[in-house]
Amino acid sequence: MRTSIIEVKNLNVSFGNFKAVDDISFSVKQGEIFGFLGANGAGKTTTIRTICGILNPASGQIYVYGKDISKNTSLIKNNIGYMSQKFTLYKDLSVKENIELAGTLYNMDKKRIKEETQTLFNLINFNESENTIVNNLPIGVKQMVALCAAVLHNPDLIFLDEPTAGVAPQIRAKFWQLIKIFAQKGKTIFITTHYMDEAEYADRIVLMQTGKIIAIGTPKELKEQFFKTNFYKITPKYGNLVLLKEKIQLSNFADNINYYGNSIKLILNNDKKWQQFLKEEKNSIAYQIVSPSLEDVFLKAVSGK
Amino acid sequence: MISKTSIKAIALKEYKHITRDPFTMIIALVMPLILVLFFGFVVDLDYKHIKIDIQDNNNSQMSRRFIDILKSCQYFTINKVNSMLGIKSKINRNNTSAILIIEENFDRNIVKGNSGKIQLLLDGSDNAKAGILNGYLNGITSSANKIYSKQLNMQYPKELIRTRFLFNTELNSKWFTVPGLSTIVIGLIAIILTSLTIAKEWENGSMELLLSTPVKSIEIVIGKIIPYFILNMFSILMIFIISLLVFKIPFESSFFIYSIACVIYVTGALALGIFISVVTRQQQAAVQFAFAVGLLPSFLFSGFIFSIENMPSLFRYFTALFPQRWFMEISRTLFLSKTNLKVLLVPFLAIIIFAIFVIILANIKFKTDMEP
Repeated sequence: MRTSIIEVKNLNVSFGNFKAVDDISFSVKQGEIFGFLGANGAGKTTTIRTICGILNPASGQIYVYGKDISKNTSLIKNNIGYMSQKFTLYKDLSVKENIELAGTLYNMDKKRIKEETQTLFNLINFNESENTIVNNLPIGVKQMVALCAAVLHNPDLIFLDEPTAGVAPQIRAKFWQLIKIFAQKGKTIFITTHYMDEAEYADRIVLMQTGKIIAIGTPKELKEQFFKTNFYKITPKYGNLVLLKEKIQLSNFADNINYYGNSIKLILNNDKKWQQFLKEEKNSIAYQIVSPSLEDVFLKAVSGK
Repeated sequence: MISKTSIKAIALKEYKHITRDPFTMIIALVMPLILVLFFGFVVDLDYKHIKIDIQDNNNSQMSRRFIDILKSCQYFTINKVNSMLGIKSKINRNNTSAILIIEENFDRNIVKGNSGKIQLLLDGSDNAKAGILNGYLNGITSSANKIYSKQLNMQYPKELIRTRFLFNTELNSKWFTVPGLSTIVIGLIAIILTSLTIAKEWENGSMELLLSTPVKSIEIVIGKIIPYFILNMFSILMIFIISLLVFKIPFESSFFIYSIACVIYVTGALALGIFISVVTRQQQAAVQFAFAVGLLPSFLFSGFIFSIENMPSLFRYFTALFPQRWFMEISRTLFLSKTNLKVLLVPFLAIIIFAIFVIILANIKFKTDMEP
């Protein structure tokens, strides 16, 4: 069994009367990609900030690398990488200047900064000039460079707070490739996102709602936990999707009936009626069995059913 | 343990922010220049060619002589009148600032060795002007006294009240305003620009990233202060050189002491800027706050424009709270008089106490966490 790199016990964080994080406990194992999911305001960022030592908890314990963070702030800050949600890089400084600033603040010397930058820039295929002012970089490249700045000092634990928010899909994919590479190198990634499709890449996931953890597990575990059966995806061969949905609803054999692209996704609840429906409509529809997505899990978990 | 490399890195970053932002550069370098030229050339608190009516009831050789003396100095534009009729409306319409009436027995009284009497009616609505006018006339009458007595070959007539301005004998307003300008400029650069720097980091979220690194808050503060400190000293030097070379203002005492005063005052002002920034966390609020506690007192309560001596006593004590007032005093004293330091003990103590107080306050208020 792998050891825990983060251990959070009964954490509470409040701002005045508002409980941003409400008595949560979890642990993150070394080397895993740990996804934190939730709507805006669920408490994801607050949790990250508290673990990184830039927010004080109201109560509870946090251990990072086995050490209590309230007593070992500087040791822990030296050994984690953090990419915040809002700010990435100083826009009026060049790429090189930003990277050097980050490296120097982590007490790296010039030579090491240069070496690590080289390695990372090769990894992200950075082919602009290092002297480009950050403001003139495309947003995707900017995020990549920000990631480099956050992990320049080669920490074993990396926190990424919604790194892919507002980024083009192909850049998001590239970003996740990078995250996988870091994970393969043995680094632990703690990432928040509200893209459910991205969460599939995570080894384990926490679902948060209004400061509380409502589910935790691997994507597979969560799907099994919330859905005993698979979804059916029904596609009309011709005809109207709206009419088809009405027809399905009238036939009364399914729950969770929702549009899904040019199909309708549902869960069977009455096999007999389904077989009958299939017999009647076999020339006009096609169907496919699909496993639930994390989005389905999230919606179900949030609705509390 | 404070890391010098971290401080250097922050200072370097801040230096780049400053030099790449035209707004900051304008405030830091162009504004002092504009201010010094504005107050040096344009704003003239001296009064010349003051319109004055003279009613000569004596009309003797002696009284005409007196009017000639008035004419010969460039302060007055003289208009002879024969009666006081319509004088009120003339003053109201700003056609004249004062009426001088020479009594009937002016020459006889002088010859007898009594004082020759003249009556001066001043427009009191502009009391700064009235005060200056009164001062001018006192100076003129006393020199007239000398001329008459020489002419009559007799002992001095009774002296009239004399006002003497000790350090600025010419009552030259440039000598007064320009040395005080450093106070204003520090108010601008140190307080306003510095108040923006930390608020800016909070506003664009970079403070969060800085705090997540091992860098200490004291390193951030020192690193941020250094470039502004240099910028400030540079501006002061610029004003100093312009004062001496362009406006020919004498610098009567030790440059070394003046530099020390600048260092202390600038440090206090920078700390105040940082304190504002730390407390407000927002650029807009920071600027408003900085104007209220930094820039306005520099103009209003420092004695730069309104003399502290003429303020109601409550306000006079109130001004003591502002370091601007004390630095103004140091600055003017060092420029215009050879003084021993004892005179400046209280002002120096005041700016030192202020600096220490604000540094402590800023340090207490500096938050190292993200709590809103």
